[in-house]
Amino acid sequence: MIFDPLLDLLRGKAVTIPPLDGAFRPNTALDDAPVFAQMPAPDNLVFWQGKVVASSGPALMAPGGEVLQRYGSDITALAVSPHGALTVGLADGSLSIAGAAVVLPTDVRCITALAYGADGRLWLANGSATLPPGQWAADLMQKNASGSVWVQEDGWQKLASGLAWPFGLLPDGAGVIVSEAWRHRLVRLEGGKPRAILESLPGYPARLAPAAGGGAWLALFAPRNRLIEFVLQESRYRLAMMAEVSPEFWISPALASGRSFLEPLQCGGIRMLGVHKAWSPSRSYGLVVRLDAQMTPRFSLHSRANGTRHGVTSVLDHQGQLYIASKGGDCILAPAPEGT
Amino acid sequence: MTPILKLEAISKSYRSVPAVSGVDFDLRRGEIHALLGENGAGKSTLTKIMAGVVQASAGRMLHHGHEVSFATPNAALDAGIAMVFQETSLVPSMTVAQNLYLGSEKFLNRLRGTYISAQQFLQSLNFGVDPTALVATLGAAKRQMVEIARAVQHNAEVIIFDEPTASLTPEEKRHFFALLRRLKARGVSIVFISHALEEALEISDRITILRDGELVITADTASFTRDSIIAAMVGRSLSATIYRERGPAALRKPGRKVLSVQDISMGALVRNTSFSVFEGQITGVFGLIGSGRTETFKIVAGIARRDFLRGGAITLDDRPVRYLTPYEAVRDGIVYVTEDRKSEGIFETMSVGENLFGGVLAAGKAKARLVRLAEVRALAADWTARLNIKAINANARVVELSGGNQQKVVIGKGLVQAPRLVIFDEPTRGVDVAAIAEIHQIINGLADAGLAVVVISSYLPEVMNLSDRILVCRQGRIVEELSPVEATEAKIMYAAVH
Repeated sequence: MIFDPLLDLLRGKAVTIPPLDGAFRPNTALDDAPVFAQMPAPDNLVFWQGKVVASSGPALMAPGGEVLQRYGSDITALAVSPHGALTVGLADGSLSIAGAAVVLPTDVRCITALAYGADGRLWLANGSATLPPGQWAADLMQKNASGSVWVQEDGWQKLASGLAWPFGLLPDGAGVIVSEAWRHRLVRLEGGKPRAILESLPGYPARLAPAAGGGAWLALFAPRNRLIEFVLQESRYRLAMMAEVSPEFWISPALASGRSFLEPLQCGGIRMLGVHKAWSPSRSYGLVVRLDAQMTPRFSLHSRANGTRHGVTSVLDHQGQLYIASKGGDCILAPAPEGT
Repeated sequence: MTPILKLEAISKSYRSVPAVSGVDFDLRRGEIHALLGENGAGKSTLTKIMAGVVQASAGRMLHHGHEVSFATPNAALDAGIAMVFQETSLVPSMTVAQNLYLGSEKFLNRLRGTYISAQQFLQSLNFGVDPTALVATLGAAKRQMVEIARAVQHNAEVIIFDEPTASLTPEEKRHFFALLRRLKARGVSIVFISHALEEALEISDRITILRDGELVITADTASFTRDSIIAAMVGRSLSATIYRERGPAALRKPGRKVLSVQDISMGALVRNTSFSVFEGQITGVFGLIGSGRTETFKIVAGIARRDFLRGGAITLDDRPVRYLTPYEAVRDGIVYVTEDRKSEGIFETMSVGENLFGGVLAAGKAKARLVRLAEVRALAADWTARLNIKAINANARVVELSGGNQQKVVIGKGLVQAPRLVIFDEPTRGVDVAAIAEIHQIINGLADAGLAVVVISSYLPEVMNLSDRILVCRQGRIVEELSPVEATEAKIMYAAVH
């Protein structure tokens, strides 16, 4: 209707969630995938010194459970330079390259992603100007958009600001593709303003990884949920909830759910006759999407509401073998190549 | 044992076209006798002769061994023969209880007493219908229940059911079959017309099959299989074409996304429903009656309107749309083929050509401001051939066509509008097996031609065999998407009820 844009000013614009169909058609590929390694909350995966390594809290771990390195605070981002130097971002806002501390601009306190371009430049995503990485749910509930992206080129250059929790980086020629979690989209930064290249994602995008056959893999760490979208529109309720309820019981996205009876979203909508319904609304989900070279979704791997491999934050494609970090499922998955 | 009802060499012609010719039929006490055949095979005519609705042109009918001829349905009812019609014959402005006792009221009628007695009677049948509700407010399934209850209430010794289960949910069907078994145990004889062959195989003791107005076979149900029934009905085996197994290779790949529906709501009927429809693919939608599937797609087609506040969003080719009238949707290439062809799909007393031209007019695609008969005739000839519509002549009124051919007219009326997205709501309801195959072929042809096609159906084999993807609707929202390769009846039903 032609009056809709005008009416939207009065009634509010419809906030809708894209359906999980087409390339996002649900399956159980993540739940069916074999476990490559088990560790508490694996977050970021990189291939370093001939093996897959993962960050798990303050530890850098090998698949066998061996702790390769332990840091003073939680590791929030990893990257390996073209020369093999391990680059580690920590929750306290510090950054080290091959063990050496790097001086960062004072604005950078929330490192969520690191990536090296083919030209050797280091890209850094700063999720929020005010909150540390561990408080991502609070950043969403405060509806912040204070993230920024930086590149190390004659010192640190800020490429973009005002981003809503940039969580993934994929260097792409002269620019970089950034996943902007709270706006459910991918944007391309190259000079001027961010340009959206993939919008209306059905979840909150996390890290990006180059795919062996071209294109990329995108991890989505939580699903969009109608109740959460509703709470985000109801400011008084949201502020009261943040002031009075413990963060783990907020109506907000989660990396894992169903572990406590105190959590929101339970009862018949979730479980019927003792069976957890795969299509029930859930605060957590497992979702990895294969994007082609034009960043168009081709297919996806899922762990549905009744699955356990939720909260996928990172994907690594090493010579066609995929590794998937399920932070909510406390494991790293290695799906068979034919399954991907 | 003398059959309770026996028909010998019964014939009936309409305007010299034979509907039934030389059919023998007998009904034993306490049996359920299924009467099967394509639309136009003569089943309804035969049962109407038994129930006194029409009179036979030749042959004789014996009731308890005595020759009878019922001049009116009331005369048949007095003799203990009741018929439950496919199209309900209830009075919409009266309550359920008043309809139940219509024609048998006492001189001094006490409404409260009628309600109490109706309540007890409906409860004894396990029918959850409020006796004080106006029939106009009831859905199709509940109207059917009242119709059945009315026949049972007359203590008939023969009850004829014409397609009784077409509008019932699986749960209601179970209740209905239990009721049939109870009636049978009481010695009531039942004639049961159905297009769902599984039902006939499940419930009946004997099966009679008619083809082109002639008797093909009468035999015990145990001697039939699904394939042998179909072969007898149509003279060839259609089983392989209608209900074929499909592997992943047989599924069409999705094309461009044509329609995206996000979180649309309409009162309590449609609640935050989201889905997409793709070109070159058949999207099957399954849901029980009342699950909101029809209402959802009526919103898409501009027939119903989504909520003004928090009503969600619909995009057609990435363009947001909100239709106020169906005309706007038709203009954008969206066509909705209704599930209720009699009241919404066709003008019964008009010809095939006039009905098809109605579709052209609705889309604003007529070539001139005045209706040109030549254009109507050309259109009728073209689409009659394309859709294989069988009519006695070019001027035949639609009411004179069989159900399958009427359905083809409804489909044709939509297709003349040159749509991009076609929504079929129960495309084969009340249609015989041969016409089902033809309608399926039409639907498949549309998808193969690159159109986006949606098929809403409550018949699981149809959804599973026609669709390239299956959406399951429950309580006003799409809850699950399944691939026909992985879908089983149990999986679909689980999603539909949980």
